[in-house]
Amino acid sequence: MSRMLSVLALVLSLAVPALAENVASPIPIGFAVAQTTNVALFGQEQVNGAKIAEEYLNSLGGVNGTPIRMVYQDTGGDEAGAVNAFQNLITQGKVVGIIGPTLSQQAFAANPIADRAKVPVVGPSNTAKGIPQIGEYVGRISAPMTVVAPNSLKKALALNPKIKNVAVLFAQNDAFSASETGIFQEAIKGLGLNIVTIQRFQTTDTDFTTQVTAVLGENVDLVVISGLAADSGNLVKQLRQLGYTGIIVGGNGLNSPNMFPVCGALCQDILVAQAYSPEAAAEVNRVFVEKFTAAYKKGPAQFSAQAFAAVQVIVEALKKVEATAKKKITAMELTEVRTALNKALRTGSYVTPLGEISMNAEGEVEQKDFYVSQIKMDADGKSGKFTLLPR
Amino acid sequence: MAAFFDLYGFLCIMILQQALLGYSLYFPLMAGQLSLASIGFYSLGGYVAAIMGTHPAFEAWRATLGWLMIPLEWLAALLLSVVLAVAVGLPALRLRGIYLALATIAFVQVLNVVVLNMPIAGGAVGIFGIPQAFESRFAYIWFFGPLLLLTILFTLRLERSAAGRNFMAVREDELAAGAMGVRTTANKVLAFVIGCALAGVVGAMSAPFLNTWNARQGTFDAGVACLAYVLIGGSRSKWGPLLGAALLVALPEVLRPLKDSRLILNGMVLVLACVYMPRGIAGLFAGRRA
Repeated sequence: MSRMLSVLALVLSLAVPALAENVASPIPIGFAVAQTTNVALFGQEQVNGAKIAEEYLNSLGGVNGTPIRMVYQDTGGDEAGAVNAFQNLITQGKVVGIIGPTLSQQAFAANPIADRAKVPVVGPSNTAKGIPQIGEYVGRISAPMTVVAPNSLKKALALNPKIKNVAVLFAQNDAFSASETGIFQEAIKGLGLNIVTIQRFQTTDTDFTTQVTAVLGENVDLVVISGLAADSGNLVKQLRQLGYTGIIVGGNGLNSPNMFPVCGALCQDILVAQAYSPEAAAEVNRVFVEKFTAAYKKGPAQFSAQAFAAVQVIVEALKKVEATAKKKITAMELTEVRTALNKALRTGSYVTPLGEISMNAEGEVEQKDFYVSQIKMDADGKSGKFTLLPR
Repeated sequence: MAAFFDLYGFLCIMILQQALLGYSLYFPLMAGQLSLASIGFYSLGGYVAAIMGTHPAFEAWRATLGWLMIPLEWLAALLLSVVLAVAVGLPALRLRGIYLALATIAFVQVLNVVVLNMPIAGGAVGIFGIPQAFESRFAYIWFFGPLLLLTILFTLRLERSAAGRNFMAVREDELAAGAMGVRTTANKVLAFVIGCALAGVVGAMSAPFLNTWNARQGTFDAGVACLAYVLIGGSRSKWGPLLGAALLVALPEVLRPLKDSRLILNGMVLVLACVYMPRGIAGLFAGRRA
């Protein structure tokens, strides 16, 4: 009985409403991405990038001498998991801001929770239309592909000026690919080319015979693919095996070294539209690539670079908060810091591994540099690299 | 206490919502039919609510009806689910055992592809910015709480009614039940339609609760999860779906501090539950009483 009472007392003591409290030291920053389920393919890359950012930025002194601490919470692959992870970071983690979630669909479910709690959110990989419009506290550093898609098509035309007939293929169950293909299709029409066939597939497909047969039957000179790494890899492989010899342009989903083991030597010469290139010249990118390669024995993917950039943007914005308030973050109230951070995020620009980026008043990212690369496979056909094409 | 609801309010409502989905499979199981179609109707109901809540064509309705729009969405989801369930159920329920399960899986897949190709459903991104009935997630207990109570009361009454006894007769031996004059197909379709209608309404309630709705809500995986609630909870007990959902939804969240290893523990609990509790959690209590 006395044990029951003591447990009850403990529960009651936990239930006392939280008083106004200061930000903890080291400064907690929430990171909620998919570390499990099939979305973890991206989530793990994001965590890898954030870990490098935490270590590197703390070695530079964190926020004017106060170190930062990343608080990781797994969202899983679904919407409910994202909401739970966000709730956890807001109430238990007492974070100043949240980076996440991985998928746009998850963002539409979880971001309103953070917006209502007045906690700033920075989307590291949400590209769907409407994300920054969720609320005042929602922003992103991941750009939709409106600029780069037409660039990659122009590169294809430069390689083969005789291109006339284009086949478009996309993963219809993937939010990113479905919106990207729209941009591609408009760009193709804008360049005066004919779209002779539009083929749909699912990211879970492995057999693409139907789509490939349809493409081969149309006498096509250019194939444009919007999909994710595994499915697009298989699609490219089957296109080449069944005899397609023309140019292949891939969307941003193909910008991943995970492609190489899937299509092997047949990946050769695919043109890929990129929001990030490990070969980009900025100094911070050189340091990032070096540290990442040393830690994980492979080059960073776009998701890792975007996660790094998100952490960097928050840390630099926190420095601005300190400069404006003229006192240490840890001497300020949590709610005050969250509001000030949200405002600071939207002022000025940041030089990140993605190049120079900034967020406008709405929270939408403005990214300066996009890249078009060509895949060059090694002689063994197992590994390869994205070679940046001159602009 | 306030801190608890801030942190676990969403989870508490999730348990009720998932339990209701469990009940939607429990009704066909009462008549011995293993169906995985519920998740499809859940997805459909959600789309009905999401479209009625956001599409410009319904702007005038929303302006004149105000909050009454929400029960209207439930009603629309209910009606659509009943019509579709009868249409699907009549041919599908002539199949037996595993073939019915396969047919319902196929139905869910077909529905998903149809939805992905309908511009009104927003494609892969789905529909977002669904008008909210309440600010706090926990307040959604006013949606799911009464529905769950109603469902449990309905189950209690059903078990004692002629229809319920017919269901159980079909479950125990379809041939014998037919020989005794029970209209087996009609009863199977009835049990199936009750479950699908419930799933449709739960979907309509869930769209505002989740803020967004997309094709990922109605996947095969989610359908299997619902079946697991019933099987782990106890497929022969009316409390089974509730107990199963409470355990399976809460466990990963309560174990959150364990990070990645929580999934291993979660899996172990499932395996142990299957091995040592063949009649589910509810079976444990029943066994003790007897």
